[in-house]
Amino acid sequence: MTAPERIEHFFRHEYGKLVATLLRRVGVQHLEIVEDSVQSALMAGVESWAINGLPDNPSAWLYKVASNKLMDELRQRAGHDRLLLQHANESIDVLEIPPEYFSSKELQDDMLRMLFVCCNGVAPIDSQLVFALKSLCGFSIQEIAQRLFISEANAYKRFSRSRTYLKEYPLDSWELNHGEYSSRLSSVNKVIYLIFTEGYLSVNHEMSIREELCEEAIRLATLLANHKSGEMPETFALLALMHLHMARMTARQDSSGGLILLEQQDRSLWDKQKIQTGLEWLEKSSYGDNLSRYHAEAGIAAEHCLAVSFHETRWDKVAENYLLLEQVIPSAIHRLNRAVAVAEWRGPAAGLDVLQGFEPPSWLTGSYQWSAVLADLHQRCGHTRIAKGYRDDALNSAPTPAIKQLLLRRLTVDGID
Amino acid sequence: MSKKNYLCIMRSQPQEPEKSEAPSPAQMEEMFAKFNAWKDKFNDNIVDMGGKLGEGKVVTTEGETDGPFVETKEVVGGYMIVSAENMDEAVEVARQSPGVYPGSSVEVREISTP
Repeated sequence: MTAPERIEHFFRHEYGKLVATLLRRVGVQHLEIVEDSVQSALMAGVESWAINGLPDNPSAWLYKVASNKLMDELRQRAGHDRLLLQHANESIDVLEIPPEYFSSKELQDDMLRMLFVCCNGVAPIDSQLVFALKSLCGFSIQEIAQRLFISEANAYKRFSRSRTYLKEYPLDSWELNHGEYSSRLSSVNKVIYLIFTEGYLSVNHEMSIREELCEEAIRLATLLANHKSGEMPETFALLALMHLHMARMTARQDSSGGLILLEQQDRSLWDKQKIQTGLEWLEKSSYGDNLSRYHAEAGIAAEHCLAVSFHETRWDKVAENYLLLEQVIPSAIHRLNRAVAVAEWRGPAAGLDVLQGFEPPSWLTGSYQWSAVLADLHQRCGHTRIAKGYRDDALNSAPTPAIKQLLLRRLTVDGID
Repeated sequence: MSKKNYLCIMRSQPQEPEKSEAPSPAQMEEMFAKFNAWKDKFNDNIVDMGGKLGEGKVVTTEGETDGPFVETKEVVGGYMIVSAENMDEAVEVARQSPGVYPGSSVEVREISTP
């Protein structure tokens, strides 16, 4: 068996590595021709390897072909302009790299730098997301549009916006100093988490495509966590969170794609290996004075993963973590989630108490989550009439048929009507 | 009965550059996987994977001209040699090749041996 047959997503991942390595050497201003060179090197690889079999070092092979194409293009563009030609030749000199490079730590450095350059926190986050998916993960614009449920034109617009921002950076922006690395870390984590949630929360896609996005996010975060510029508690907590969520992903859906509530999930389907890995990252993340949202969210996910059943969940710990989450990121949805946890811990009346005197924003009161939780808590308190009103609201505001089905099941089982 | 060799000549219609969208890395991976699966399946039939054909010249007693002929609707893009019991089997090998796609064709010719 040969490398690309065994390694999944070899071509996509090579794309990311080559773009990062070449851009680092010739500068972001050459992004288009770098991408074209990499694209045609990969195509040359497919054609040649299909016939001749794989070379010893496919990465080095691809790099050589891509850098030759890039050199030709740079020289051609410089034409007879001596000054430009000199620049081109200088760029070309830095393209010479030894074959050992591809198994070295340096390549990881390039990838990391690319990640920090992409996720600069300056361009809109939607654009950073698209850029990272294209340049680092090797998805085409068309594939990104399909995955994010946006039009190709929109995906392309977001990509070019990010590219415009990048071009305004001078060449030496690649050599980030320590301070820049740490100030950008939370932007990087944010983009990675966004890639993850695009896969994890999507209800419309087949599981394989969703898992692919989640795996990409985990891959990038792992790269980050193992590098000196990213090995911070926040990154470890994010990795913990993603593993603990992913472990339960397939158990969240039935065979026809309908959502299954936590209470009804078959816990034996949860991926124990992923839970273990998640818990290891969580343990590593617990140092320093900075508690990030990922810590709180991973803490909640860990409680669910460790509980033998829904009823034996340590709801006090879950409620405590939601309170922490509210403090780090004040959001009404965290308060609502805390009410649910408190209701499981101390009974539905205590749950309603959490929401007592709370003035929720209109986006929340108009959502099915708000109405569904209130329908459930009121029903359990015996306030049948109020419960029915909330149930109707919840069903009316369900965004997808899958969620409507879920609400019908959940709120009917409990005996409203 | 011993096996015979067949020459497979791959032809495709010249494509306008802007019309053919370059495949994405994920699609390339799929192409590569299909090709390898096909190669594995017909490992016993494939004598020579041949290769892609580049530019060339046409030599006659009059001299030589640049080829391949530009007027033709289809350009010979590659070749390979397979061995098979008979024409049907050779055709089947070619038919299942990922190199055959809409807009392309393969001509399968027996290589006669005296």
